[in-house]
Amino acid sequence: MLDTIYKILAFFTSDATADRWFEQIYDNFIKDDRWTWLMKGLWVTIRLTFFAFIFGFLLGLIIAIIRVSHDKRVVMPRQSFLQRLGGIILSILNTICKIYLNIIQGTPTIVQIMIIYFVILASSTNKIGVAILGFTINSSAYVAEIIRGGINGVDQGQMEAGRSLGFGYIPTMIFIIIPQALKSALPALCNELVVLLKETSVASMVALQDLLAAAMLIRGRTANAFLPLIAAAIIYFVIVSILRAISARLERRLNSGDR
Amino acid sequence: MTDNKTPLIRVENLTKKFSTTTALDNISNNIYNGEVVVVIGPSGSGKSTFLRCLNLLEVPTDGRIYFEGTDITDPHNNINKHRQKMGMVFQQFNLFPHMTILRNLTIGPMKLLKKSKEEAEKKALELLDRVGLADRAGSYPNQLSGGQKQRVAIVRALCMEPDVMLFDEPTSALDPEMVGEVLDVMKMLAKNNMTMVVVTHEMGFAREVGSRVIFMEKGKIIEENEPKEFFENPKSERLKNFLNVVL
Repeated sequence: MLDTIYKILAFFTSDATADRWFEQIYDNFIKDDRWTWLMKGLWVTIRLTFFAFIFGFLLGLIIAIIRVSHDKRVVMPRQSFLQRLGGIILSILNTICKIYLNIIQGTPTIVQIMIIYFVILASSTNKIGVAILGFTINSSAYVAEIIRGGINGVDQGQMEAGRSLGFGYIPTMIFIIIPQALKSALPALCNELVVLLKETSVASMVALQDLLAAAMLIRGRTANAFLPLIAAAIIYFVIVSILRAISARLERRLNSGDR
Repeated sequence: MTDNKTPLIRVENLTKKFSTTTALDNISNNIYNGEVVVVIGPSGSGKSTFLRCLNLLEVPTDGRIYFEGTDITDPHNNINKHRQKMGMVFQQFNLFPHMTILRNLTIGPMKLLKKSKEEAEKKALELLDRVGLADRAGSYPNQLSGGQKQRVAIVRALCMEPDVMLFDEPTSALDPEMVGEVLDVMKMLAKNNMTMVVVTHEMGFAREVGSRVIFMEKGKIIEENEPKEFFENPKSERLKNFLNVVL
């Protein structure tokens, strides 16, 4: 392995340059098995992204449904007590959601993460748990708006058709509206996943050992910034490319059904 | 539950106001079992709003609607239960595009009537066969022509075994050559004594199949009669004018 790297380097440059590069690569990645630091950091990044996306998606879905339900609510001239109570609760929830969305979308991600890490959950020792919570909150706000757009894009007649069969509002949402909304929102959701993956690098600022933090750690040992950072960038790029390829495939498969 | 004397649907003083206009102005009417009521009128006359109020897709501003003796405008009554008994067919079909035809037809019976999958599919295929689309059960709605979609939409409503079928301009979005196939299915329903309320521009259908024709204008019922009298001997000046234009 080392031999091969050396030969490749020597092929492109003079022996002296090859020696110098080889030494740096050795220092940054091979000595003390430093490449495994990057792998460990990558594993943290992937776990963080995965859980934050799943939880952020679920929270965002709930927020989107509350927002749409409120905006499209038809007020009956005659209401039962429960209907009136439901309307009031929905209004309150909607207001909370709107404020939440405004705050989350109106402040930088890094500030949110730092507030959660250093202020709200300063006593917690579960660093990755705190980071997952922080990115869940951040991502949910964007997912909520994406899904809300998807729901609003579903033809009004679909809701009417569901209701006319005798489905209630929520079953119609679940069986008929949401599946269509998610399908049309899929490209934007995949994009949000990619954005989230890249954003998680912010977690290195709160001492979480993610991929970027691992690269910085190597830099601290070797006093060489170029190679570890380039390595981190390449790894991010590869993961993003894989996600993009998967989402393109998924989209094609979903679209083949109805065209 | 209902005999021929008590109406299946009783509409009392129905009024529907939108922000600036009055779409329905104090309408009262009864619809009896086995009737085919055809509602005609110029656009903006409120005929679609009237139909959509019958199953509360449009919420009336005032008035009462009794279905099988129950006041469905009373918020304490579960409208979802009553809607199961009122099939509706839309101008734009509104099939569920993410489901196969068979799934479109069985989701209601399975989830709402708690039928088994086998039972629901058997009934769906039987009805699909009757409208000549048995071979399309596995297709998606977008793979069908407009006329086929509308026939499937009718079958979807029928799968719920409704007591009345509401048609909201079922042929208006169709290419002319497909209108006939949908009207044929509706005629078949009428022959089988299905109670139907049909909003349409198809005067031929009204004359041939209707048991009563209602003419609406500006949110009011101007005239109603059995079809022969209605078309051959219109009483009001406005109906005469309307018939002159459309016939």
